[in-house]
Amino acid sequence: MKNAKPQIGWLCAFAPEEIVMAAGLLPLRLSGDPKELSTADAYIYANSCPYVKSILALGLNGKAKHLDGLVFVRSCDGMRRMYDVWKSYVGTRFVYMLEVPKNKDEAAVEYFAGQLRKFAHALEQEFRVDITPASLNQAIRMTNKARRLMQRIYQIQRNVPLPLPGSEVFQLGLDGLGMTKEAFILRLEEYCKKAESRVPQRGDKGKARVLISGNVIDRPELFRLIEAAGADVVAADLCTARRHFDHLVDENSGDPYLALAHRYLGELSCARMTGLEERLNEMEELVKAYAVDGVVYTSVKFCDQHLFDAPYLVEKLKDEGVPVLFLENDYTWGNIGQLKTRVEAFVEMLETRRR
Amino acid sequence: MLKNFYEQMKEAAEKEFQRRPRAWLMYTIQLTSTLLKAFEDDAKVVWTTYYAFPMELLAAFDVVPFDFEIACNLLPGADPKGCVDIMTKAEAKGYSLDLCSFHRLALGSYFLGYFPKADLLLTSSYFCDGKTKTNQILAQYYGKEAMMLDVPNELSKESVAYVSKQLQGIAGKLEEISGHKLDLDRLQECIRASNRARAAYGRLAELWKTKPFPWDGSRLCNLSIIGNMFSGTPFQEQLYQKILEECEQRMVEGKVAPEEFRVLWLAWFPAQRTNINEILRKHNTSIVMSELARVYWDEVDEKHPFEGMALRCLKNPYVGPVEQRLAGVLQLVDEYKVDGAIHFSTTACRHANASFRLIKDALAKRNIPFLVLDGDMSDERGYPVERTASLLESFVELMSSKEIGGE
Repeated sequence: MKNAKPQIGWLCAFAPEEIVMAAGLLPLRLSGDPKELSTADAYIYANSCPYVKSILALGLNGKAKHLDGLVFVRSCDGMRRMYDVWKSYVGTRFVYMLEVPKNKDEAAVEYFAGQLRKFAHALEQEFRVDITPASLNQAIRMTNKARRLMQRIYQIQRNVPLPLPGSEVFQLGLDGLGMTKEAFILRLEEYCKKAESRVPQRGDKGKARVLISGNVIDRPELFRLIEAAGADVVAADLCTARRHFDHLVDENSGDPYLALAHRYLGELSCARMTGLEERLNEMEELVKAYAVDGVVYTSVKFCDQHLFDAPYLVEKLKDEGVPVLFLENDYTWGNIGQLKTRVEAFVEMLETRRR
Repeated sequence: MLKNFYEQMKEAAEKEFQRRPRAWLMYTIQLTSTLLKAFEDDAKVVWTTYYAFPMELLAAFDVVPFDFEIACNLLPGADPKGCVDIMTKAEAKGYSLDLCSFHRLALGSYFLGYFPKADLLLTSSYFCDGKTKTNQILAQYYGKEAMMLDVPNELSKESVAYVSKQLQGIAGKLEEISGHKLDLDRLQECIRASNRARAAYGRLAELWKTKPFPWDGSRLCNLSIIGNMFSGTPFQEQLYQKILEECEQRMVEGKVAPEEFRVLWLAWFPAQRTNINEILRKHNTSIVMSELARVYWDEVDEKHPFEGMALRCLKNPYVGPVEQRLAGVLQLVDEYKVDGAIHFSTTACRHANASFRLIKDALAKRNIPFLVLDGDMSDERGYPVERTASLLESFVELMSSKEIGGE
């Protein structure tokens, strides 16, 4: 049954859910259907990122009809070109390309704030709604609340041994990307109680601690594979996990659009942005904060942003004495069996180092 | 290695130029001379993107512009095996074969120590993700600053102001690098030179509409990308003027190759040796225009140089929604009376290749045959020689049957 609120799909952590919520609409992160991938080949070049292809295939196969709108951001070459194809061959009611700069200096933040206002205006026009400062501030507070709760869980996961399975925490976050904030907050509050009761006593070294870093993962196969190999996934530096829930929007700013621009552009670290050194520093901080024994860096095939970063980041982390396993994936995780041996060998190596 | 290669290339071109003072040799000499300057100890070397960065700004500072994509992609035509060795170096470091060979070649060249120094690494966001990423990685290795001109997908008053502000910031950085303040008169002179070159190029592009096509179409991409490195210098106008004169001369002397079919070239032209020209020539098929060779920008307003340069960036066919690119393609189809269009899809070029279906459908409405020709810009390992031959021959047949059918 179609939800009462019009549904607006989004595809990238830089899409500001708050504005969609302030318009009285329901923001939903789209997840592609791995079985549909090949349909897209007739419309977008075969060597395009499989996430892009799987999303496009949803649209082409009529499986995105529940959406009243879809927000693209200029994340990468693949996304901006998918926007063109979607507009021409899928035809959702409201298709919007949000300009997100790739720099994060003041000029970029200011320009982005203007783009956010433009986006809000486009939603107002299309859905005949008003986005008032009050409704936007309310959406900001609500989204921050969910972020704070998720961050509390992340904080708990810094404990040794790991209190909660990484796959479970990841799935919790994923679920939150597809429901109302109100429902998500209720679920998070409940989960936090459970999490806090699990904070372990000191003394137990637990299992080898793995950080997963990379781009889009929206199913928990890799987490489960690492867990089955005998390690814990303590944190996920992904656009469907930490990058989505970290950093709050200033709730007391006189200009909520500027506050949003500061949070999204100024704070989020992603391979699409300039600042490779910054990304490396952030990964090193995560390694320390979560007492990480090793990093699994993963990227979907044909993702230039991450495939270019990977060798540099891997090299530098290894120089710091952090073991890294690089895994290229096809988004569908259909090749999970092939990755099993590599993951097991990696976990075994981490265990040996810990002894 | 690269330096020796440019020296040899320059020497050979100079020698040949004594015998035959042709435009292409003049261009080769100027290109290699500029690249060689980057290896001089006292040079201020600014890495950039010739096609996508407003080069007038660099010309106003007398820094040496160095584009790593162009610099190492002069090699594949001369030494394809050597290029594979260079790329292998990057691949051994973990750079995937799914990444563009242009960038694997650049990274390999860096790891092998073939590149000159860099004082600043500039690029623009819209050329492609691969270029910006490679620029950042190289900046990390050099320990120098990487700056990216971020060009949005929308053309508006705000985006012009945003790009213009960034260009002013870059000018500030160039003041530091060059050791002198921006001379506005000098910048305006560079803009005027660029506008004069634009006019000369416009005359040339007009002449190219002539049937049969009076130049070598396989050089169109090269000229439109590398030719831009001279934007803001008097040489650019001289070069276009010289090519124009040579085309006219060839027409007068009746030396133009016979032409049965006229083709519009889309996206890039391979830097490596291929059988494309040979097959097209065999079938009297001329490449009469390239989408990259279209004059897409207006004259830059010298009184508002930063806004003018920003506008030029924002009007690039690869910026903005695909309509900007499609409009350009259709304009060329009409103006150059083409019989078909070929899209060269170098496998890793996500932004150009992704639009193939939209282009195909737009051309189908004009009844223009369209071919997606897969290949690789610089990596001979990925180049399908036989498949290219059979695809091109079938395409010529398709154009031919269309003509017989009287459509």
